[in-house]
Amino acid sequence: MPSRIVQWIDQRFPLTSFVKHDLTGYPTPRNLSYWWNFGFLAGFVLVLQVATGIFLAMHYKADIALSFDSIQHIMRDVNYGWLLRYMHATGASAFFFVIFVHMARTLYYGSYRAPRELMWWTGQGLLLLLMATAFMGYLLPWGQMSFWGATVITNLFRATPFFGDQVVIWLRGDYTVGDATLTRFFSLHYLFPFLIIGAVLVHLVALHTVKSSNPSGINLADKDNIPFHPYFTIKDLYGLGLFLIVYSVFVFFMPDSLIEPANNIPANPMQTPNHIVPEWYFLPFYAILRSVPNMVGGVLAMGLSVMIFAFMPFLDRSRIPGGAHYRPIFKIQFYLFLLDMLILGYVGYVPPTPQTIVIGQIATLCYFGSFFLVPFISKAEERWLIKRGLPPEVTTLIEQEAHDKEARRQKHLRRQGEIA
Amino acid sequence: MRTLLKMLLLGCFSLPVWANEAALEKANVETDAKSIERGAEAMMGFCHSCHSMKYVHYRDLVTFGMDKQKVETWRGDQPLDAAILAQMAENDAMASFGKVPPDLSLMVKARDGGANYLYSYLLGYYLMPDGATGNHFYPATKMPDVLNSSGLTEGAARTEVQGQARDIVSFLAWVSDPHEAERLRLGYYVIGYLLVLTTLLYLLKNQIWSRLK
Repeated sequence: MPSRIVQWIDQRFPLTSFVKHDLTGYPTPRNLSYWWNFGFLAGFVLVLQVATGIFLAMHYKADIALSFDSIQHIMRDVNYGWLLRYMHATGASAFFFVIFVHMARTLYYGSYRAPRELMWWTGQGLLLLLMATAFMGYLLPWGQMSFWGATVITNLFRATPFFGDQVVIWLRGDYTVGDATLTRFFSLHYLFPFLIIGAVLVHLVALHTVKSSNPSGINLADKDNIPFHPYFTIKDLYGLGLFLIVYSVFVFFMPDSLIEPANNIPANPMQTPNHIVPEWYFLPFYAILRSVPNMVGGVLAMGLSVMIFAFMPFLDRSRIPGGAHYRPIFKIQFYLFLLDMLILGYVGYVPPTPQTIVIGQIATLCYFGSFFLVPFISKAEERWLIKRGLPPEVTTLIEQEAHDKEARRQKHLRRQGEIA
Repeated sequence: MRTLLKMLLLGCFSLPVWANEAALEKANVETDAKSIERGAEAMMGFCHSCHSMKYVHYRDLVTFGMDKQKVETWRGDQPLDAAILAQMAENDAMASFGKVPPDLSLMVKARDGGANYLYSYLLGYYLMPDGATGNHFYPATKMPDVLNSSGLTEGAARTEVQGQARDIVSFLAWVSDPHEAERLRLGYYVIGYLLVLTTLLYLLKNQIWSRLK
C-alpha cells in the first residue's frame, strides 16, 4: 500500500528521485571534518528561532505602553514562557555563533573559491538578513538598550547623501524611535525569517549543484564520496547533541549572561544609558564604526566591513586549492584576522578611552588591510609554494582547473564564431 | 606580518586598567523559602512604603508558600490579586525625593553586579561630616539609610543589618526571576538527558562509519 501511494505521487511529483538525489543518496566527501557540521546547525537554529518566535508572538504586545509588561507576562505567567523567551534570546546568540564558525570554516578552507562563489554570496545575503532580523528583534522588549540601540543605529542612516534625515524618519515612522518603529520592527521581525528560509533554499540548491567542498580542497574521486544518509545524518545528529548541550547550559544556567542589565529597565527616551553597547555579535563592526572619526566615513567603513567578505573570491588570487590546508601564509593571515576580530570586539565593548580608540583604529586598519593584502600575498605565496614544490594531487588539480578554464574559453569563442 | 603581530600584542598589553569602582561585597543570596519569606517581611517593613514591585501580586506570595496571615496584613485593603504597589503616591514621592523610587520587580537583573550590587548598596551608607548620609556605591542616591547601616558599623548589630540586607536581596532575587529554581532543576534533567542521547549518537555514529573501513 505505501509503495502504491509513493508510486501515485511519483507519477505527479519527483518525490523518490528528489529524496534519493538530495537527501539519502546525496554524494558527500567522506573526509569532511566536524567544521562541516555548522551549516546544518545553522538550519536547526533557524527552525528553533521560528518555532519559539511564533509562540512568543502569541503572548507579546507590540505597543510601547505594553511591550515591556508583556515580556514580564511571558516570563512570569505564561506556562514555560520563561523557557520560550530564554531559548529565543539565547538562540539569537547561538545563531550568530554558528554562522560565524560556518563563515570562518569557509574562509579557512577556501570554500568560497570557484565554483562556489554563489554559495558564498547567498551566504553573505543571509548574514545581512540575519543581522537585520536580530537588530529588529532586539527592539521588541522595549528596554533601555533596545531603545537606545535602535536610536543609534537608525540614526546612522542620516549618512545617506541628500535626504539622510528623511530616510531616518521613513525608517522610524516618526521623528524618534517610538510606537510606529516598534510595530514595524515587530512586523518585519516576523517577516524576515521567512525571507531567510527562502534564501536558505537558494543556498542549498546551489550547494547541491556544486556539492560540498572538503578539507583537502581537492575534487574527490567518486570512491571518496559517500551517501549523505546514513553517514552524515548521524554525524550531524551527534554534532547537534553537542551543540544542544552547550546551548542548554546557557538557556538553563546562565540565560541572563547574554542580556545587558540595562535592558531590564523600561525604555526611557529622556534618559540615555551611560554606555550604549550592542549585542556581542555586532561588537567588532560597532568598533569599526566608532574608530572612524567622521560619521559618514564610519558608516561606510562599518558597511564595508560586513560586505567585504563577498570580495574574497576576487581577492584571493592563489590557484592553490584547499585554503589554509596547503597555504601556510594564508593560515597565519587567517589566525591574525580572528585575533583582530577579538580585539575589535573588546574595543567595541568597553567605554571608549583614548587608548581603546587608538587600538580600535589600528585594529580597523588591520581588518581592512588583511583583505586588501590578500591579492598580493596570495599571489606571492603561490609563487613561493610552487617553487618549493607542491604535492602531485594539488598540481594535478591546478592543471585541471586551468584546462577547464581554457576549454570554457574555447567553447565560448567557438560559439561567438558560430553567431558571427 | 611579524611586526603586525607584535603591534597587536603590544596593543593588548597596554589596555587600560578597568575603571576602578568600590569593590562590591558578596551577597551570598539565599534561595530557601525561609530566607525569602524573611526578606519579604523586611521588604514590606523597610521598602514597601516607597517602592513598588508591580510584576508581583500578593497572591504570588501565597502561592510561593508564605504565611497567609502575613500576606493578609501586608495587602491591607488591597485585593489578593493586586500588584504590589508602593504605599506612597507617586506625586508625594516626587515632592519628597524629587524622583519616583524605582520599581523593584527586576532590580536584581537591572543593575550591573546584580544581587551583590544591591547588597553592597544597602550596606554602603556612611555618615558625612555634616551629619547627612552618603552612599559609596550610588553617591547620587535619594534613598535614606533605611537599615541604619551608617550607624551600625561593628559587632552584632552590624551582623544583624547584614542579615537583613541579605534577606531583602534574596527576596528581590526571587522576585526578579521567580522561575529560577524550576529552571535550574529542569536544566539538570535536560543536560543529563542530552549527555546520554549524545553519547548514544556518538556510539551509533562510530558503528555506522565503521562500515566504511
